[in-house]
Order: sequence, then C-alpha cells, then structure tokens
Amino acid sequence: MNDHSATLEQPAYLRFEPNRDAVPDTATQLSIRHLNFFYGRAQALHEVNLEIKANAVTAIIGPSGCGKSTLLRSVNRIYELYPDQRAEGEILVDGRNVLDKRYPLSDLRRKVGMVFQKPTPFASSIRNNVAFALSYYEKLSKAEVADRVEDALRQAALWDEVKDKLNQSALGLSGGQQQRLCIARTIAVRPEILLLDEATSALDPISTAKIEELIHELRERFTIMIVTHNMQQAARVSQRTAFFHLGELIEFGKTRDIFTNPRVQRTQDYITGRFG
Amino acid sequence: MTAYVPAEMKRSRSAGADRTFTLFTAGAAWLVLVLLGATALSMAWGGRLAFQTFGLDFIISPEWDAVQGKFGALVPIYGTLATSAIALVIAFPVSIGIALFLTEIAPRWSRGPIGIAVELLAAIPSIIYGMWGLFVFAPFMGANVEPWLTEHVGDWPILGPLFNGPPIGIGMLTAGIVLGIMIIPFIAAVARDVFAEVPAPLKEAAVALGSTRWEVLTKVTLPYTRSAIIGAIFLGLGRALGETMAVTFVLGNAHDLSVSLLMPSNSIAAAIANEFTEADSELYRSSLIALAFLLFVVTLIVLSFAKLLLVRLKRIHGRTL
Repeated sequence: MNDHSATLEQPAYLRFEPNRDAVPDTATQLSIRHLNFFYGRAQALHEVNLEIKANAVTAIIGPSGCGKSTLLRSVNRIYELYPDQRAEGEILVDGRNVLDKRYPLSDLRRKVGMVFQKPTPFASSIRNNVAFALSYYEKLSKAEVADRVEDALRQAALWDEVKDKLNQSALGLSGGQQQRLCIARTIAVRPEILLLDEATSALDPISTAKIEELIHELRERFTIMIVTHNMQQAARVSQRTAFFHLGELIEFGKTRDIFTNPRVQRTQDYITGRFG
Repeated sequence: MTAYVPAEMKRSRSAGADRTFTLFTAGAAWLVLVLLGATALSMAWGGRLAFQTFGLDFIISPEWDAVQGKFGALVPIYGTLATSAIALVIAFPVSIGIALFLTEIAPRWSRGPIGIAVELLAAIPSIIYGMWGLFVFAPFMGANVEPWLTEHVGDWPILGPLFNGPPIGIGMLTAGIVLGIMIIPFIAAVARDVFAEVPAPLKEAAVALGSTRWEVLTKVTLPYTRSAIIGAIFLGLGRALGETMAVTFVLGNAHDLSVSLLMPSNSIAAAIANEFTEADSELYRSSLIALAFLLFVVTLIVLSFAKLLLVRLKRIHGRTL
C-alpha cells in the first residue's frame, strides 16, 4: 500500500502561507492598555497592551486557554453577564474608555458587533433575525427596515440564497448560512468593530472559505478582530497578528512577519506546531 | 471451519429475558390507556341517568335544585373555567418572573434555596391552602381588596361587571387567586428548567446586539422555549381545573349564576366533594357522576387544544425546545 496523500497537491484553502496584501497603515480604532481580566480569582489576561488599526483584520492566535476569547469578550463587555468576571485597565475607542461603567452599554454594543463560535440564529424568521436589533437604535419605517435587511444580507453574501424565503424560520438554514445570517444581523446595525470569536470553527471547509472571503470584503468597512485556533486562517485573512500564551501577549506585528520571521521563540514554536 | 457467533447470540436466555421485558413495558404503557378509557366509560355509565333525563339541559341549564330534582351544570362548569382562568392570569407572569430570576438574575448562592422554597410550595397539602384561604385570605380580600375593586374598577365599561359585587371575601376571585398560588410552583419549576436549557451563546448573541434583559426574555428565551412553556402552562391549568379542596373552602358553593367574580359560585370538583354524601336520590347521584364526566371532558379538551397548538407552532417556527 502506497501513501497516496504524499503525492496529492494541497488545495488552496489548506496552503499555509500568509496573504500578500499590503498592510494599510490606518488610524488606531481600539487601544487596549494594561488590560487585566479575572474569572473570580483566576487571572486570564495579564497587562495586555494592543493597538487595533481601523479597516484591517487583526487575528488573535494562541493555544486553548490563552485568553484570546477573553480579550474579545472584554471589548464589548459581554462578560458583565456573569457577576464573577471583571476586567481592569482601559480599552479606548475614540479616546473614551469603554470599560468605564459610565460608558453607556447601548452605545458600546452598537459600535461593537460580535459573532460567536457556533451559529446563534434566533427561533424566528430570517427577516426578523436580521432586523432583530434595528429598532434598538433607529426609528425606521417598514420600507427602510426592508432595505436595511436586504443590504445586510447582501453584504453577508447571503441575499441570493434567502431572498425568496425571508419569512421562513432561520433554524432551517444550513450551518454556514446561519453563520452568515449572524454576520448579517450584526452588521445590520452598522457597527464599527466586528469581533469574530472562532466564527468558522463549527463549519465545513466550503462555508469556511465563503466566510473568509466575506471577511476580506468587510475589512474595507469595518475594523475586524478575529480569534482563531486555525493558523492557516489567521495567515490568510489578517493583516496583523497577535500571539497570546498563558494570558500574556507574546508577540504582535504584521501577519507576514509573525508567520515568516517571528522574533520570539515561543511564537515560532507555536506556529510550527511544536505545542498547541 | 466454524462460523463466528457473537457472544450475546449464544445465550438465548437473554433473548427471552429481553422479550419479557419488552412485553412488561408495553403492558405498563397500554395499562394507562385502558385505565383512561375505563374511567371515562364508567363515569359516562354512572351519569347516564342524568344525561337521559336532562339531555343538553344538563350542560346549559344553570338550575341546580336538589329538592325539586333539577340538575344543570352550567354554574359549576363556569366556576371551574373562570377560577382556572384567573389562576393562570396570576400564575403565568409570576412563574416566568421566578424562573427568570432564578436562572439569570439571582446570585448563584441563592438559586438553590429559593428554587427549593418554590418547589416546596407544591408540597403543601391543598387543605392547608383551603384553610389559609378561608381564615386569612378571604377576610383580607373582603375587607381591603374587594371594596377597592368595586369602587375603582366596578364602573368600567366591559371589565366593570366582573368586579362589582358584595365584598364578602369568598368567591371566584379569591378562589382563583388561591389556585394561582397553588399552581405557581408547577409552572415555575418547568420554566426554570427550560430557561436553563437555552444555550448561553444564544443569549450572549442577543446581548451583544444590545438587547436588555427584558428583550432577551421576550425575543430569545421565550420563543426558544415556547413549546415547553406552553406545556408547563397547561400542566398548571390541568391542575387548577381539577383542584378540589382549596376551592371548596373559598368558592362559596352557591349554585347561582353570576357574572361578578366577587360572587360565590361553585366548581365541578367542589360540587362533587360537597354533595356526594347528601346525594339521596338515584338522579342526584347520577348527576354528580355526570359532573365528573364533564370535568374529564373539559380537561381532555383543554389538553388536546394544547397539543394542537404545539403542533401548529412547530410547523410555523421550526424545531425549538
């Protein structure tokens, strides 16, 4: 028996190679300063300092439990749902610290959209899912809502697949469609920052490729932070990459540099698969 | 060459045991159906004299006169439905509130004790609810709540007549409230369990979009748990319809038809419990058994309606809990 796999050429989506896009030197959208995060007494993030540039994709990578999801959950203060979790330090958006209790949550949640690991469609129609949060922030007529729903679905590359069944239950869509619906629902309220928390890890390769393509297009309009345990994905979709280990930011730089020429030994060990 | 025989096939004894076990479980399940049918049949049979004598009048006539031997069940039917409806109107929001508080808002350490306290409400014997209702709650209603209702709500256009009447404490409103308290633990316990089943990411997704707690409840949690919550409501309703002791104490046991919820009335279960020992004639006893049959039918209709509603909801909204 011969091992045929050795002779197969790897498909494009598995190629391990950082993207060749120019890294735009845009303004800073998000300044994370001295961020410490606690789950009860356990500290999950230690003194994290990170500048997230606007209209670019920043990938957060690192082994499980390194605090990468925690970092995203700090940015929109979703952790406040759980009384024993707390963040200290500053996350500045437009010069204001969003971790400050006085920063209005509704402003923050409008500015920062989040997509989760598993698709989270609500038990309602496709249309209602996309229009879910529109009424929280704007007074829109029925026609305007319809426009915004269509616009969001088009941006999420889902419109052509669902335009004839907007009134059907969102639970009937495939996993990949549901995840793009969640992206549409998030961008319908026109946020500035998109947080993607392992948004493709529950999807098949084709759906993953579609969403990666989508991230590529959305980059021009949004500031995107993506947490992924898939290093090929980080290399493909992001311009900058931050590597976390044990709650600390180990290395941060242009994706190309991180993947081809890391300065820190631990980063190199991780991206070459020596631990993880 | 010997054929491979799996170990479990060599032992035919286990196949026989399996067959016996299958028969036993099937028998247990069918027994329920047989019992249900037998109960309905024997009640219909026991009540045949009443049905033959009064025909449709048994259901639509409000006259219940043991002395003259005339029996119409409209008052107990109305009393049963009205008190159960009041109970639901009170118990539903309170139960949802309890369940939501216990799953989302209460500090973790307090969830256990409060949850157990709510479940213990279900363990209180109904006669205790009845006595509390008669000696404590009914006087309170008569002295404080009912005069206020008559004065402030009594002259409203449509709702007014419901709340216009003598403030005597016992009556449909009081009975409905006591029933409501009694069914709260049933609805709250189920609601708490299914609320806890709503995946955290689903709620987080709604919160991340800017939803408040109220919006998460009405737009995510309740739709997701819709079927189970409706099931819980009808579980409570089923109990309210058949509750006997507590209602007997505070309902007043009067066979007078009245729109006002402040007036004493009667319920099917209470009428049977009160009058069975006094049923001196064949027709009287038959009428009471026919009443029991009606309660059975009313409950069956309500529960079938619930099932139909669930099937319809499933078709419209897809699969949820």
